[in-house]
Amino acid sequence: MTSTRLIHTVGTGALEWLHAHRDGFRLEQDVDPEVGFLERFKPVGELAIICKVLFREGVAGSRQAQLARQLLDHAWRDTLDGGRMLVRGHRIEPLSPIPFEVYLPFRELGYSRPEIEQALLLNHRLESFAAYEVPPARRLGLSAFQRRFGLAPRPPESELVGTTWLGRTPEPWTVEGHIAYDVTHTVFHLTDWGERPDGIPDRLAGYLATWLPVWLDDWLDLARWDLLGELLVVDACLPRPTLDERAWEGFAAAQQPDGAMPAVRTMPQGDAEELFDLVYHPTLVAAFASVLATSRALTQLVHAPA
Amino acid sequence: MEQSGTSTRLAGAVQGLTSELVSALRSGGPFRLAGSVRGADGPEAADGLALAAVRVVGADAALPSVLHRTPPEPDDLAVFSRAVHAYPPPSDASPTSVWSHWAMKRTLLRLDASLDGAAGHDPEPQAAWLDDASWQSLTHQLAVLAPLAVPAGDSAVARVARGRPVDVARGFVRAVRRRDWLQAAGAGRWLVLLDDVPPTLGLEAGLDFVAQMGCDDPRVALQIEAAHLMRAGVRV
Repeated sequence: MTSTRLIHTVGTGALEWLHAHRDGFRLEQDVDPEVGFLERFKPVGELAIICKVLFREGVAGSRQAQLARQLLDHAWRDTLDGGRMLVRGHRIEPLSPIPFEVYLPFRELGYSRPEIEQALLLNHRLESFAAYEVPPARRLGLSAFQRRFGLAPRPPESELVGTTWLGRTPEPWTVEGHIAYDVTHTVFHLTDWGERPDGIPDRLAGYLATWLPVWLDDWLDLARWDLLGELLVVDACLPRPTLDERAWEGFAAAQQPDGAMPAVRTMPQGDAEELFDLVYHPTLVAAFASVLATSRALTQLVHAPA
Repeated sequence: MEQSGTSTRLAGAVQGLTSELVSALRSGGPFRLAGSVRGADGPEAADGLALAAVRVVGADAALPSVLHRTPPEPDDLAVFSRAVHAYPPPSDASPTSVWSHWAMKRTLLRLDASLDGAAGHDPEPQAAWLDDASWQSLTHQLAVLAPLAVPAGDSAVARVARGRPVDVARGFVRAVRRRDWLQAAGAGRWLVLLDDVPPTLGLEAGLDFVAQMGCDDPRVALQIEAAHLMRAGVRV
């Protein structure tokens, strides 16, 4: 069985790196309109989600909890200017779901910006918002976030599961990288980012229990750390996580001494901002996988026979 | 240089024999092992090469007779028998080599009515090396030993496979993902014979996919044809 210490250490290292590089969570005020102001919101939203997971699971030490709180405060106060940047983003692209998706985890953690909530309520009445074309796994995420906001999801999540790749339990040998990311995100949305493991229907949990070991094996050998980390999150969301020893050891070995996790193979080269943009996501994923897997390992310990 | 030339000729002979086996399996027509492998250096060398090729192909060299349930001609059986006896596994042979040879001997017993199953009955080799094999390693070994995957072909190896259908299915997925068509085809041939293979595997389309992607290699085609025939046989 994988050492819980090893799993936990991956997360503490990742959080140290994210905290030390928190200035990398930045918006570009004068961005080229072709790129779009909202493009740089994604990392901030992901950071908030992971920090929320960290508080929720209660397996963080006091230093980790302090770093996470400082990261959130920095992201809300400095990066998002107390939520004003979300309002600005909404005014640039009123129909985009991104400002609301970024706002939700902050709201759940006690931060507030009433204007963005009013805007969401109006959008929720629009047929256009419900009809907004996005891939099925993303649509499932949008309905989940509406539910968490206290709104009636349009359409209901139960209608969406079968539209995703995972929901149709296809031939497992056809999985490629982009399909695997669709699978991981479907699981994230079904479980509210690991909060409700029983949100995965039994049929899909059984499918994942059968085939996830193959995908872990494959992307470990390909040294695709970002995807491997997301698959380790999926494992931790299953009724009986494997906490795959070989995958965790390989994942931990890929992590840099300063806590950064390369996305693929080894660390890329570049200036500080370029490096941040290439590495922040796998490092966030490492923190996420670590917190969930540590929590599950401790749960297994509690339930193990004495 | 000479050795390299010999191995090239042997590879060519194996490829030729395998291609003829594939044709015979597809057509259901007669297959003659005697004279199916020809060399360029005179009858004696050709003969040695033919026997070596039969040994490399293993028990599958008699697969058309086994799957079509047609008795082999006496001279075909003689070639097969000579290959069995000409290449006994050395004392330090790998388990797969020992098992491959055992599979040939068992096939000989099965096909040679004159032996009546009495003569030369060898005890099964050990399969203990598979007991603790990971699903990755198990599938790799089983694919190498695909000639043991035949209807009613009981063996310690087959019993291990029957006990681990999910692991073999995982190995099939892994092999396809890695574009290892030969391993995928061998694993797929085993899966046809196993109960409790997860239906989400999509084995039937998977076999066709492997055939399509690995069609350049007659060894892949041989495994897929065997799998298809066994599948059809199971349904009858």
